[in-house]
Amino acid sequence: MESIKQNPLVKKVGFNRIVLCIVLLLMYGLFCALTGGAFFGLRRILSALNYAYFLGFLSLAVTFVIATGGIDFSIGPVMFCCALIAGFCFTIYGVPMPAAIVISLVVGLVFGIFNGYLVAYWDVPSFITSIASMNIAKGVASVFTKTQSVSWPQSSQEGGWFRNLVTFEDVPVGLIILLVVAVICAIILNQTKMGRYILSLGSNKEAVRLSGVNVKKWEMSAYVLCGLLVGISAIFFVGAYTTVQPGYGDTYNNEAIAGCVMGGTSMAGGLASISGTIIGVFIISLLQEGIMALGLDKNLQLIITGLIVIVAVFADVVARRRKN
Amino acid sequence: MGEVILTMKGIDKSFPGVHALDHVDLEIRKGEVHALMGENGAGKSTLMKVLTGIYKKDSGTITYEGKEVEFHNTREAQDAGVVIVHQELNMLGHLTVAQNIFIGREFKKGIRIDDKKMNEEAKKLFDRMHIDIDPTETMCNLTVGKQQMCEIAKAISHKAKVIIFDEPSAALTEAEIEELFKIIRDLRAQDLGIVYISHRMDEIKVITDRVTVMRDGTYVGTLITKDSTKDDIINMMVGRVIYEDPKTKNMTPPGAPVVLKVDHLNAGKMVQDVSFELHKGEVLGFSGLMGAGRTETMRALFGADPIDSGDIYVNGQKVTIKSPQDAVKHGIGYLSEDRKRFGIVVQKTVAENTTMADLDEFANGPFINKKKENEVAQKYVESLATKTPGVDQLVVNLSGGNQQKVVIAKWLTRNCDILIFDEPTRGIDVGAKNEIYKLMNQLAAEGKAIIMVSSEMTEILRMSDRIVVMCEGKKTGELDISEATQENIMNMATREIE
Amino acid sequence: MANKVSKTAGTNKSFIDRMGGQQFIVLILVIVMFIFFSAMSPGFRKYTTVVSILDYSYYIALMAIGVTFPLLTAGVDLSIGTGLVCYSLIGGLLVRQYGMPVAVGMLVTVLIGLIFGIINGCLVALMDLPPFLATLCTCMITRGFGAMVVGGYGIPWPAAAQEGGWFRSIFKINVGGQNIPIGFLWIILLVIVMSFVLNHTKMGRYTRAIGSNKEATRLSGVNVKFYHIMAYVICGLFAGLAAIAYSAIFATVQPGSGAGFELDAIGGAIVGGVSMSGAVGSIWGTLIGVFVICLLKTGLPFIGLTANWQQIITGLVLIAAVLFDILKRKKEAGK
Repeated sequence: MESIKQNPLVKKVGFNRIVLCIVLLLMYGLFCALTGGAFFGLRRILSALNYAYFLGFLSLAVTFVIATGGIDFSIGPVMFCCALIAGFCFTIYGVPMPAAIVISLVVGLVFGIFNGYLVAYWDVPSFITSIASMNIAKGVASVFTKTQSVSWPQSSQEGGWFRNLVTFEDVPVGLIILLVVAVICAIILNQTKMGRYILSLGSNKEAVRLSGVNVKKWEMSAYVLCGLLVGISAIFFVGAYTTVQPGYGDTYNNEAIAGCVMGGTSMAGGLASISGTIIGVFIISLLQEGIMALGLDKNLQLIITGLIVIVAVFADVVARRRKN
Repeated sequence: MGEVILTMKGIDKSFPGVHALDHVDLEIRKGEVHALMGENGAGKSTLMKVLTGIYKKDSGTITYEGKEVEFHNTREAQDAGVVIVHQELNMLGHLTVAQNIFIGREFKKGIRIDDKKMNEEAKKLFDRMHIDIDPTETMCNLTVGKQQMCEIAKAISHKAKVIIFDEPSAALTEAEIEELFKIIRDLRAQDLGIVYISHRMDEIKVITDRVTVMRDGTYVGTLITKDSTKDDIINMMVGRVIYEDPKTKNMTPPGAPVVLKVDHLNAGKMVQDVSFELHKGEVLGFSGLMGAGRTETMRALFGADPIDSGDIYVNGQKVTIKSPQDAVKHGIGYLSEDRKRFGIVVQKTVAENTTMADLDEFANGPFINKKKENEVAQKYVESLATKTPGVDQLVVNLSGGNQQKVVIAKWLTRNCDILIFDEPTRGIDVGAKNEIYKLMNQLAAEGKAIIMVSSEMTEILRMSDRIVVMCEGKKTGELDISEATQENIMNMATREIE
Repeated sequence: MANKVSKTAGTNKSFIDRMGGQQFIVLILVIVMFIFFSAMSPGFRKYTTVVSILDYSYYIALMAIGVTFPLLTAGVDLSIGTGLVCYSLIGGLLVRQYGMPVAVGMLVTVLIGLIFGIINGCLVALMDLPPFLATLCTCMITRGFGAMVVGGYGIPWPAAAQEGGWFRSIFKINVGGQNIPIGFLWIILLVIVMSFVLNHTKMGRYTRAIGSNKEATRLSGVNVKFYHIMAYVICGLFAGLAAIAYSAIFATVQPGSGAGFELDAIGGAIVGGVSMSGAVGSIWGTLIGVFVICLLKTGLPFIGLTANWQQIITGLVLIAAVLFDILKRKKEAGK
C-alpha cells in the first residue's frame, strides 16, 4: 500500500511520465548544447517528428500486445511488407492511392489475425509466432515485389497527396493524426470492453476466463488491432522516407518495444500506458535525430535502444519482485 | 519398537494472525511407523515443515539422536538423515529414474557422469526395497505410484534414519498402496523411524504402530494403534467445542424447487459418478478431506475443466456446459478457493472486478459506462459492507475478506442464482468470517441457491441446510443438518471404499 | 517384474518411437525432400549441389548446436544470427585492417562470441529478464556494434589463394579441381563432442534439469544460476564458431546482415525434436533438422521458387514444428 503522500499532480500524471518528460527536455537541451545550437530550430524538430510518426503507430500497436502479456517481433518487417505490397500495387498495377492505403491496412490486419489466431487459439508462444511471421512478412514482400525496392510517389506526382497526411505546408499533420489515434487508443484501452478485457487477461487470464469471458477472442483482438496500426504506420513511413526495401524493418521492432516499455507498460502484461508510450516514442525519435545531428554512427541507435529495453525491463522485473 | 530417535517438544509457531502450532509434542522411535493425524489445517504439515527446516520454530526443542538440533533447510535435514517424501512430487520428468535419484550428487568418472554406476546404485536401492523399477526409464513414463517409489528410493539413498511420508497414498491405486506398505514395513524392519501422515483411517489401522492426533494446532494425544478403535481416533480429531451455534434444522422453505440437478457427473479421476440436487434458498455444504474431489466437482460443473460424462439440469432444463461462459449464461457463479489465482484480477480496481462477469450490461456498444459501473460497485460496497477507501482502489490492497466480498459482488452483479462458494473463508480472519456467513445466509434467504465447499467442520455445521460428503472422488453420503454430527461426517469422509 | 516393466514400456512405444521418434520421421523427411528435388530438377542432381548444401549447413548447424542448449533450458537465444556477423566482422577487421594473423582473428571471433554468451547468460539467469527479450536486445546491440566497428563496410576475409587463406581449407579443400567438403567431418566431430557433453556431463544433465523443473533442480542443491548461464555461454561459443564457418564459406561479410539466420538455426533445432518448453531434444536431432532447412534453402530455387520463398516456408515450418510439439504435449497431458 502506498503510504507516501503524493502530490495530486504527480498522482494524476504519474511519476514515471513526469520523469520521461524531463528526460525528453534534457535530451533536447543536451543535443542543442552539443551541436552548438545547430540542433535548435523547427527543421530538426520536424525531422524528429517524421521519425516519431511511424514509430508512434508501431509502438501503440505493440502496446496492446504487450498489455496481454505477449510480444510481437514482427511489427517492423510487417510494416515494410505493407508498404511494399501497397506501394507495388500503386506503382506497378496502377491501383489508385486510396485503394493502396486500404491494401496496406488489410495486409497489416492479415498478419495481425494470423499472429492472434496462433497465439490465442493454438497456444503458440507469441515470440515464436512473431519471429516466424517476421520472416514470412519479409519473404512475402520480397516475392511480391520480386525483390525490388518500391518508391512511393513524391508530393508533386499523381497520388502524392497522401504525403499531406504527414506534413501539409510545414504543418505537422502527422502529429495531429498520431495524437488523435493515440487518444483513440487510450479510449479503447481505458474506456471500452476490449481494453478492459485485454488488460485484465494480461494480468490474470485464468480469473477472467472463470468470470465467463471469452478470453481467446479478446486476446486475439489485441493482435488484430496491432496489425491494423502497423498497416497505418506503413503509410507514415513512406510518407516520410519514400522508399522501402524488402528484407528489412526488424530494427524498428526494438525501437517500438523500447518506446513502449520505457513508457511504463509492463512486459508481464496487465499494465499499459498510451501516453507513456507516446513520450517514449518521442525520446527514441529525438535520440535518433540527435545521433544524426552529432554525426555519430547511426548504428549507435541500435545499441542504445537495446540497452534502454534491458534497463526498462529489468526495472519492471525488480519492481514486481519487490511487490511479491 | 526401539529407542527414541527424534523428539519434538513444545514446538510453537505463529504466522501473522494464526497460531499454527501451540506447544506440540511428538516422539518417534526407531523401528516404528508413527501416524500423524488431524483434520485439514490441524497443523500436521506445518509441524513437519518445522522439523525439516522449511519453517523456523518460535520456541521448543528438537532432539535428534540424543542431540538438540535445528535444521535451517531441507538440505541440512537430509544430510542428517531426516527426509520428507512430499505429497506433490519434486521430480524432473524428462530425466531417467536414476538421474532423478542422484541429481545434484552424481557419480563421476573424470568429467563424465558415471551413469552406469548410478543405474547400478539405483538398482541396488530398488532391490533393497524389493521393487522392480528400471533405473533407465524416463520419469514421466512411470505411473504416479512408481514415481512415488522413486522418491522413497531417493530418500533412502540419503541414508535416512527418519522418513516422513506426507499423504503418500493420495494418488495411488490399491495395488500400489499394497506395495508401498510392503516397503514401509521393510524400512521399519531396518530400524528406521517413520512418520506417516494420512487421512485414511483404514490405512492407519493397517500400517501404523502409534498415532499422534493434532487438532487446531495443538497436541491432543498419542495412542497405541492396535489398542484403539477408529472411533477413539475420530473423537480425538473432532472433540472440540463448537462455539458458534451449529444450525439445528434445515432452513430451506419446504417445497422449494430444485434449481440445479447434477446427474452421474464424471470428470477425470477425482470426480466419479457424483449426483446431487440443490434447492432454491438452500445452503448445500460439501464436506470431505483434502483431495476428496470437491473442488474438482465444482470446476467440472462450472465448465472450468472438461466433463467426461453426466448431465446437468438448471431449473429443470438440461444444459450443456463446456466453458465458464456457458455456466455463467445459466446463472452459475463460482467463487474459487484460490482467490488470487482464479477469483480476482488483483491489479485492477474494485469496480473493474465487480463488473468483470457482466461487462455487457455496463457497456453502450463498445464503451464502458463508468458512471454506472461505479454506482453499482458502490452499491455492493455498501450492501456487502466491503471495507475499501473507494471503488477505484486496486483489489490487491484489500484484505482477504474484502477481496472475497468483491468476488461475491461480481457474481451478484451478474445476477447469478446459483453460487458456488469454494472454501469461502480460507485465509480470512474471524471477524470477517462472520460477515461472510451472515451474507451467505442473507443471500439464501433472498432465494439464491448456494453450494459451499468447506474443509472446516464448524463451518459446515454452522452454515449448511444439507450436507454432501465426498471421499476420493465419490459421494459417500448425504445428510440433513438435523442428523449431522462431526462424528458421522468424519466417518463418511474417511469411509473405506471397497 | 523388471522384465515386465521394460516389456510394457516397450509395447507402449510405437515403431517410430523405438526408432528415435521425431528424429526418425525428420530423417525420412530429409531423404524424401532430397529425392523430391532430385526428381524435379536435373540441376539438383549434381555433386556441386551436395557441396552447396553442405556449405550452407556448416554455419547453420553450428548455430543450431549452440542454441539447442538455451532451448533445452526452456529459453532461447535470438542474438546468434546478428551475433555471428558481428563476431566475424570484428575478427576480419583485425586481419584485414591491422594485419593480424588469421589464427588470431579466428580466436578473437570465437572469444567475442563467448563474451556475448556470458552477457546473455547474465541477463537471463541473474537479472531474470525473459530470454527472448534479453537476447533480442543483444541481437540489436551486436548488429549495431559490428556495423560501427567496421564503419559500415563489408569485410572480406582472405580468399583461398591469398595469404592466410588457409583457413578456408578447414571446411573445403580443392583436390584436382574438385571441391571436397571436409567441413562436414568437423561438424560430425562437434556433434559427437556436444552429444557427450549433453548426455554424459553435469553441464548437460543440469541444462536438461533446469528446462524440466528449475525449482526442483535448485532444491536438489544444484548451482542453477551457474549452469543456466553456461547454457548461453555454450551458445555464444558456437555462434563464434559459426562466424568462422560463415567467413570461410562466403567471400564477404556484410554489416547489418545476419537477421533471420537465427530462425534457420532455431527452426532446425525445433524441427529436429527440441521442445520449446525445454528439456526434450538431442544434438543429433538438431543436426538432422538443420538439413531440412538447408535442403529448403538450396532446393527451392531448383524448382523455380526464389530464395524468398525459403524464408516464408521456414517460418511456416517453424510454426508447424511448434504446433506439433504443443499438440504432442497436450496429448501426453491428457493421458
